[in-house]
Amino acid sequence: MIECPTCKHQEFVGTMYCSECGTRLTLAHSAPTVSIPRDEIRAESQVTRPTVPEGPELESGAVIGLRVVSTGDVLPLIGRDNYTLGRTIEGQAVVPDIDLGPYEGYEQGVSRMHAEVRLDPEAVSIVDLESANGTLVNGKRSDPLTPVVLRHGDVIQIGRLRLQLISRSPG
Amino acid sequence: MTGLKDYYALLGVPRTASLDQLRRAYREAALRLHPDRNVQPGETELFLEIGRAYEILSEPERRADYDRQLAELDKQAAKGASLVCNVVHSRKALLPLDEPQVHYLLLDILPAENAVFVRPPVNVSIVIDRSTSMRGQRLDQVRSATLAILKDLQPGDAASVIAFSDRAEVIVSHEYAHDLTTARSRLSMIQAGGGTEIGQGLETGLTELQKTFLAEGVNHLILLTDGRTYGDEELCLQIADRASAKGITLNGVGIGADWSDRLLDDIASRSGGNVLFLDSPKAITNLLQRIFDSLGRVFASRVRLEGAFGDQVDLRSSFRLLPEPMPMGDTLPMNLGNLPRDGRIRILLEIVIHPASALSSVNLADFVLAADVLGHATMAQTLPVSISLPVSKHPDPEPAPSDIVAALSQIALYSMQEKARHEAELGQSTQAARRLENLATQLLAVNERDLAKAALGEAERLTHSRRLSTEGEKVLKYGTRALLLLPAKSGSS
Repeated sequence: MIECPTCKHQEFVGTMYCSECGTRLTLAHSAPTVSIPRDEIRAESQVTRPTVPEGPELESGAVIGLRVVSTGDVLPLIGRDNYTLGRTIEGQAVVPDIDLGPYEGYEQGVSRMHAEVRLDPEAVSIVDLESANGTLVNGKRSDPLTPVVLRHGDVIQIGRLRLQLISRSPG
Repeated sequence: MTGLKDYYALLGVPRTASLDQLRRAYREAALRLHPDRNVQPGETELFLEIGRAYEILSEPERRADYDRQLAELDKQAAKGASLVCNVVHSRKALLPLDEPQVHYLLLDILPAENAVFVRPPVNVSIVIDRSTSMRGQRLDQVRSATLAILKDLQPGDAASVIAFSDRAEVIVSHEYAHDLTTARSRLSMIQAGGGTEIGQGLETGLTELQKTFLAEGVNHLILLTDGRTYGDEELCLQIADRASAKGITLNGVGIGADWSDRLLDDIASRSGGNVLFLDSPKAITNLLQRIFDSLGRVFASRVRLEGAFGDQVDLRSSFRLLPEPMPMGDTLPMNLGNLPRDGRIRILLEIVIHPASALSSVNLADFVLAADVLGHATMAQTLPVSISLPVSKHPDPEPAPSDIVAALSQIALYSMQEKARHEAELGQSTQAARRLENLATQLLAVNERDLAKAALGEAERLTHSRRLSTEGEKVLKYGTRALLLLPAKSGSS
């Protein structure tokens, strides 16, 4: 038997798609997350903190969102109380809520299930989901599976990809 | 040697069957077909024939002699065949394991290169649901669509129109099908009213088709309905089986949200036909036209996959991908429907191979592909297809053929939708909703925005009302099924 890496369902040898969650089984291990040396990540996180955008961008309805520093795109975080961040590959069944693939997620060392943003009434926090390259908050590496509280303007680094939390409430 | 029957196919055993297997297959068939028990006409003859088959195959000397004749026949059949069957494997070799393993076979059935095409005469019966819910636009559209088909009839074609509610009547009989003035006024007399008893409509449609049965042509029934049939499901399936045995294919067209898709699927798949879903009646003229045109392009009808799987091989699932996508059963023989002259029938079989002790190769299947090739003189054709695969310790380093990968990834989407629906029916709405969200994400990855939206909408509905909408069920089912017709898209980032 072989085990589906996503949902742990057992399948016969030779099965190409998990019958439970639809994950492409032969592809499951062929696209590992790009490994980036830790020093490089640390060095990049030392660059100055980007200024917090004000004005129209915030007025556009994004009460809470993540701004991709490199492109300025804002990914809204509205409607749910948690979002997983990662990247999607073809045939993957359990996919992240927010796909960072379009922001060169693969090249930037984003894991397929990298981190989770939790929006609780009292605070917004981020949890690293044991990703390959880790999650940094304002340049500080967070411990895997441990929530770190975020404030407006905080910079989160997913692998090498930098995101900034935008929150209308002063946080 | 002519008139030689494939006794192995008759008994449903592989050509390598042991004496023990033969005995079991014979006993099972004999019990079922014994004159004291059999029900259908022709089964007594079949009973005598399996007796002869067993008599010959159970004696080693006679069997060897018979095998030689059969091999000779196979060779001739392959030479003169107007059909070709190509087989693609998901891997080049099996692994020597003491546990079951899965393997996929992609079968492409197409006309041989030198085959001669003629437009076959078409014998079609259009069976229209005229229950109360069809009132207004639905019936109007169906009327004009039907008339358009009658206008397109060629000399030599035959057609009839039947309307049914809780009983059925012939609206346009075959005598008037070519007389458009009469046909038009007869069609305008169809009034909506009453319930839906599909069995009544099918029965009358079948009777009409048989009056003008074309041995050298295509015989087809199109059922148009927008409602659920009550209490006569079993009858419907029996009629479908009867039609299929006579070489008549059935198409179902479901309009709106309230028809029974499972019943229509079951009816249609028995004859190798298919089911189409229309959420608005406007598209019906185009759809009927498309069906009718395709009938004039049939190269071979009643294409069947017969024969048997190998000893340690089980069929787990099968899906017809082309010309019209349709999940198929898990037993042989399998009715594959009509083969178009400008296309192919493509099926994907998922098989499980049980552990084989130290074999160097495994006999997967001995199929016999049977079909009626249409033409001036319709010929019943058979094409033997034997499939085996070597066993090797070294795993196949090459990726699976892209056709198989693409088909499986699309079938996976269809299956997720089926699973979610099943879970919703069992009351596991949270699980079903999560599955639909997951499906939506995968649909987005292949740029199917509308379907993804439908999946999300149903997921939301599940969390609120704990059930799916009847329309959403059909949008997702026939939407994901139709994806199989598209060339594979890459969704990787």
